[in-house]
Amino acid sequence: MFLWLLLALPLPAVAALDKTHGVSPALQAKYTPSASGTWFCLDGSKEIPWKAVNDDYCDCPDGSDEPGTSACPGTTFYCKNVGHIGATIPSSRVQDGLCELECCDGSDEAPGVCSNICEEVGKEYRKRVEAERKLRKTGSKIRATYIAFAQKEKNRIEKLTVDLEREVASRELEVERLRDIAKRAESISAAELERKKQSPLYQSLLTHQMALTSLRNEHNKHLETEKALGAILDSLRTGYNPNYQDMAVLEAVRGWEYLAGLPHINDIRKGEDSAEETQTQAPKVEEEGVWNADQIERELDRLLKTDHISLLLEHEKIVGHPATKSTLFEVTAYLPDSLVPHYVSLRDTVHSWLRVFGIESDASDTSDEANQARQALSDAEHSLKLTREEEETAYHDLSALFDPDGFGPEGEWKRLDGLCLEMDTGDYTYEVCLFDEARQKPNKGGSTVSLGKFSSWNKLAEPGELEYYTKQRYTQGTKCWNGPHRSLGLILSCGTENALLTVAELEKCEYQITGTSPALCRPLEDENRKDEL
Amino acid sequence: MRSLSLLIALLVSTSTLAFKRDSFKTCDQSGFCRRGRTLSTRAEAASESWQSPYYIDPSSILRDPTDAFFTATVKSTIYPHIRFTLEVRAHEDGVIRVQMDEVARLRRHYNEAASWALVRDPPLSTSARTRWLVGEKEMRTRYGSQGTTFEVVVQYNPLKVTTYLNGEEQVVLNGRGLLHMEHFRTKDTQPAQVEGAEAQQVPLQVNGAAWFEGEEQDAWWEETWLTWTDSKPKGPESLSLDITFPNHPHVYGIPEHATNMSLPSTTGPDAAYTDPYRLYNADVFEYLADSSVALYGAIPLMHAHGKKGTVAVFNAIGSDTWIDVGKKNGGTETHWISESGILDVFILPGPDPASVFSQYARLTGTPMLPPMYSLAYHQCRWNYVSSEDVRTVQRRFDEEDIPLDVIWLDIEYAEGHKYFIWDEKTFPDPVEMIADMEAKERKMVVIVDPHLKRESDYSVYKMASDLAVLVKPKSGEGEYEGWCWPGSSSWIDFFNPKSWELWVKLFKTKSVDGSWAWTQSSENVGIWNDMNEPSVFNGPEISMPRDNTHYGGWEHRDVHNINGMLFANQTYNALYHRSDPPKRPFVLTRAYYAGTQRFAAMWTGDNLGTWEHMAVGVKMVLSNGLAGMVFSGSDVGGFFGNPDPEMLVRWYGVGVFSPFFRAHAHIDTKRREPYLLDEPYKGMVKDMLRLRYAMLPIWYTAFKESSLTGIPILRPQYVMFPNDEQGFGIDDQFYLGSSGLLCKPVTTRGAISASLYLSDAQVYYDYVSHTAYRPSTSKTTGRTVTVPAALHEIPLLIRGGSILATRERPRRSSPLMKHDPFTLRVALDVDGGAKGELYLDDGEGFGYQQGELVWRAFQASTTRGKKAREIVVRSDDHAAAVPGMVSSSVSGNVFAKALEEVDVRVERVVVIGVDARPVSVSVAVGEAGVLGLEWTYEAGDGEKAGVVTIKDPAVGITKDWAVVIRF
Repeated sequence: MFLWLLLALPLPAVAALDKTHGVSPALQAKYTPSASGTWFCLDGSKEIPWKAVNDDYCDCPDGSDEPGTSACPGTTFYCKNVGHIGATIPSSRVQDGLCELECCDGSDEAPGVCSNICEEVGKEYRKRVEAERKLRKTGSKIRATYIAFAQKEKNRIEKLTVDLEREVASRELEVERLRDIAKRAESISAAELERKKQSPLYQSLLTHQMALTSLRNEHNKHLETEKALGAILDSLRTGYNPNYQDMAVLEAVRGWEYLAGLPHINDIRKGEDSAEETQTQAPKVEEEGVWNADQIERELDRLLKTDHISLLLEHEKIVGHPATKSTLFEVTAYLPDSLVPHYVSLRDTVHSWLRVFGIESDASDTSDEANQARQALSDAEHSLKLTREEEETAYHDLSALFDPDGFGPEGEWKRLDGLCLEMDTGDYTYEVCLFDEARQKPNKGGSTVSLGKFSSWNKLAEPGELEYYTKQRYTQGTKCWNGPHRSLGLILSCGTENALLTVAELEKCEYQITGTSPALCRPLEDENRKDEL
Repeated sequence: MRSLSLLIALLVSTSTLAFKRDSFKTCDQSGFCRRGRTLSTRAEAASESWQSPYYIDPSSILRDPTDAFFTATVKSTIYPHIRFTLEVRAHEDGVIRVQMDEVARLRRHYNEAASWALVRDPPLSTSARTRWLVGEKEMRTRYGSQGTTFEVVVQYNPLKVTTYLNGEEQVVLNGRGLLHMEHFRTKDTQPAQVEGAEAQQVPLQVNGAAWFEGEEQDAWWEETWLTWTDSKPKGPESLSLDITFPNHPHVYGIPEHATNMSLPSTTGPDAAYTDPYRLYNADVFEYLADSSVALYGAIPLMHAHGKKGTVAVFNAIGSDTWIDVGKKNGGTETHWISESGILDVFILPGPDPASVFSQYARLTGTPMLPPMYSLAYHQCRWNYVSSEDVRTVQRRFDEEDIPLDVIWLDIEYAEGHKYFIWDEKTFPDPVEMIADMEAKERKMVVIVDPHLKRESDYSVYKMASDLAVLVKPKSGEGEYEGWCWPGSSSWIDFFNPKSWELWVKLFKTKSVDGSWAWTQSSENVGIWNDMNEPSVFNGPEISMPRDNTHYGGWEHRDVHNINGMLFANQTYNALYHRSDPPKRPFVLTRAYYAGTQRFAAMWTGDNLGTWEHMAVGVKMVLSNGLAGMVFSGSDVGGFFGNPDPEMLVRWYGVGVFSPFFRAHAHIDTKRREPYLLDEPYKGMVKDMLRLRYAMLPIWYTAFKESSLTGIPILRPQYVMFPNDEQGFGIDDQFYLGSSGLLCKPVTTRGAISASLYLSDAQVYYDYVSHTAYRPSTSKTTGRTVTVPAALHEIPLLIRGGSILATRERPRRSSPLMKHDPFTLRVALDVDGGAKGELYLDDGEGFGYQQGELVWRAFQASTTRGKKAREIVVRSDDHAAAVPGMVSSSVSGNVFAKALEEVDVRVERVVVIGVDARPVSVSVAVGEAGVLGLEWTYEAGDGEKAGVVTIKDPAVGITKDWAVVIRF
């Protein structure tokens, strides 16, 4: 349309151009002729007549003699845009018949081609800027609450760490104490225990244990392989192209469908309703007493966790001393409750005397005690470990809170940790749980696919810069059949809500989701100065 | 265990994706090809004693009173009761047409192939030129002009047609006695049973045709291959014909095959391939880069060339055709085996390449003059996934200031692969999206495939179904149903004229009489016709069953190779009728046939991102150009795979010098738009693209010439130098139109230099560095020069004696260049002369047919006076000099006037090959007088040519002027 406009106007020669036409303010001073009426190219490489500047012919090797025309490729053109903001465009857009939006004063085309719309553009620009400001303002208020939340978190965690530190200290003492007791108890029983361990029954038990562990490992490996193969075959089945009638593929698909009890995929593609019924599988007949998969899992776990030494001692007790517990130990049953503590201390003293004089054998009882002591120690150690972990997590959380690489320099993202955003696109619902995992959930049945776990912010920017927080990468999602692991780039901008806007699969299995978050609305004061420049 | 090994096999096979040989028949798996090849084997074994059973009954010869043709009855000794009619015509340009058909008894052979290919009924000769003389043993006619005498001899017994050029044999039909037109039979008839033969003789019956046809009824009737059974209700009907070129060692053409331009043998000891070349439009997955297998298109045109001249044969047949090629005694023997159809052969007598191109163009039409934008850069991908994606791609090109004219949309824009219907989720605003492209004078091309999803709420399918214009199954009733992208699909039968009107309606951007129209589109959208072989995923050889029924009761086997052309043809027609006044349509097609050049561009289909495919793509583009499909190219980057930056840059080098220049990529590949490359690769590609845009006037001028004469855009060595034997096999370098540019794209990894072959004793200059490659003497022939070819360089020479017009201001898209000034590059030849042309018009409409165009002829000459010497470069009107062209100087040439009004001028004249510093340079424009000009001189040396650069002569491009350089 502009072209026709152009045609209608008899144009004066382009040579009438002002010599500083298209020159940016910073360079204006350099566009003056020498006393002899010549001019040096800006790179100093050539001296040309002043009239050759802006004469629509490229004389200078650096193209500096044609700031106002398109004669020199790869240079720039400056439009003043009085009433708005000046702009620079590539020389390839000068005199091409199109009125550039950036040059609202129309100076990029011959006079009369484009009208000056700077007033209008300026007004709209200011309106847009104002709207953006408003959005930023509202957004930054929300963001401020995120920062406040992070501060609260900080206080909470700091307090927690103090408590935890104290708890760790006391648990450490407890462990020390129990370790002493256990050591003493064990030193007495160790030799005896070693002897008992020679029992063929015990040895056989160890072998069984080893066998079970190994079998289980092997079994798990097989299960993993089967799962992986199943996934491959599932994607083959749903994703293969009936194109080319590849018999090998068809056979594989049919074989898998038979094995997995699935209906033929083409039948589903044709009529989705009829296929549903074939999905239901005949209930399996279970053999009595035989464990099912869940039981196996449970029982095996229990079995493998068995404390064999305790078992050995238990066994000794039953086999070596059939129901011959010394009556002395039964006395408590006949005593009133209030006397029991006295009795116990007395009994222990008697026992130790008896032992000292070799009257009573300590064989079974001492190992029992050692066992108990060991158990108590192990329990205490475990508690200590848990507390220490808790402490570590707390410290970690504390440092991540204001880590520019984590929840941002002001901790503004902490509030959103684990927040799940959803978007329904018709066929699928996309879910992004921030800092956790992104998923694609089919709306019409089928399995959910992981698009990846949170791995990093925008690697192209520096931590701390706003740009850094405009993109999150989620990687290592479910692998594509014959393709890469799924991954996601989450591109965010300032908005008053945490929301997803668009979803696209730009390359196979590489998704891009755009969205907004108030966490990106930095307060206006931050950049007020820049804006005014 | 079994399932595990199956799985392993599966994993292995997918990791080495490759051409599926098993999906396509070999000759041996195809009944009629097997019969044809064994016929040839029998003939060879019989040697001298073999004689064709076909003969002319001399008493039946009827000469037409105009003397342009005669008819005769042909019989065969093996089936004496069967009659054939023979008709031999001479056309006004010397083309000979030989037709033979069985006299109808049971049914008719398919006889409409030529009518789809020919642009009109070719005009017959007059008796003044050709006069058939009836002899005792033969008919003969002789014609020609000074120094070029053609002669055609039709021998009666055995039937043989021979053409001669100046007494030397050019083409011989049935010289080897392999002609065989299988007559229609009823299923129970014994092969050699003569009608009325005595039944009592059965025990002693001798099969009289066995020596020729063999003892067995090999695959005469029902034929099963893999899981498909071809019912073949008509029985055997194949056609075998030997065509020999006794004096031509090279044959070219018969695209589409991924092989050398000079076709390697398929028979004899030097055979490069075991199977014949095959013409059977096929969707071949990951095709091989060196093979005789059939690909997407089929043009049964073969050129034969040698020192003694050029000749061509156009065998107008639309069915599955296999062609054996063998070399013998400095000549070439070919054997054509077709599944069905009459014999309808055109002999194009030449005598040189240019004559053959124009003879073929007069038969099947010249290539269309494409819209200017379609010669610029096309960016495609399977798929740009949304309107936002499209906008982003456009924005990124602009941010990098890389030129771009067209963004393409592959099948995923269409909801459920229902073409025309936008997926509203991803393309909610198609009209606005297209408008955003058009705001930068860019275009969009959108795919429309021939398979229609069988869904009653899909208007396009519904309308076609209601009109009953869909291809029918073998029963001849109802709709054929096959599997393609949308799932269950049907195909419009474009042989049915009723479908044409429907197709026109669909593409309208405003509804006509209330019926469905593509209102969500624009009048500038180009159309991509893919999958029109037709590709049918669950069909035999990934196509339709051969016993499907088309309009007029013909079987799919009869029309298979023509089918895809009609689709593109009707799309062209629909786009032509979309706007008023019409704009030049742009249609890209994958399947094609003789005549497609009138409607569409083609590309070489789903190539692989390998160096081999890059290299063979160049050869394929040359071969297609020889067969009329001059507007062709390969997917830049390779459709499959992820090319590394070096390969991608080189591929752009190939694309910049392809007539059709499009980057495309498979859905599984990484994105690879030029702006995604890192430096220095991005800068290299940007420079290459800018070179293409600068040279668009050269390309457009070449297309103009091609649209008038049929000569290819890319001209191989033998076309330029028909007498230089060393150049006959060269297919990795080419000349661009008549411009004098010689290019050899690099298609190997790690190259730093390239060798170009030069046929003539002429100086060539490097386009960029002006290095001169001078002949050592004026008699120099056949030399090889080595030119630099680092990754950023495309080996490109200007032949001395050429003048090139370019536009060197980078723009975002080609229409934005239309008011830019020109640079003229004058490359002086060894005698100080040069010539060149520039053709311009509005680039989008048909105003050029009314003379709205500018066509300039540039000429440079050096005169040597006693003392002074001068070089004159002048510009004159050329349109008046072109026969049949309306002169551009006619009044009312609004196009020329528009250029004058905005002062489109020559901004620079670069004269290359000036060996002394000038004294002055001036320009004379009409009566305006003589004006001194500014200039610079760069002296040459032993290596580099001296160059005068003249600053802004300020002469209008439409004007006559002369620049004088004085010494």
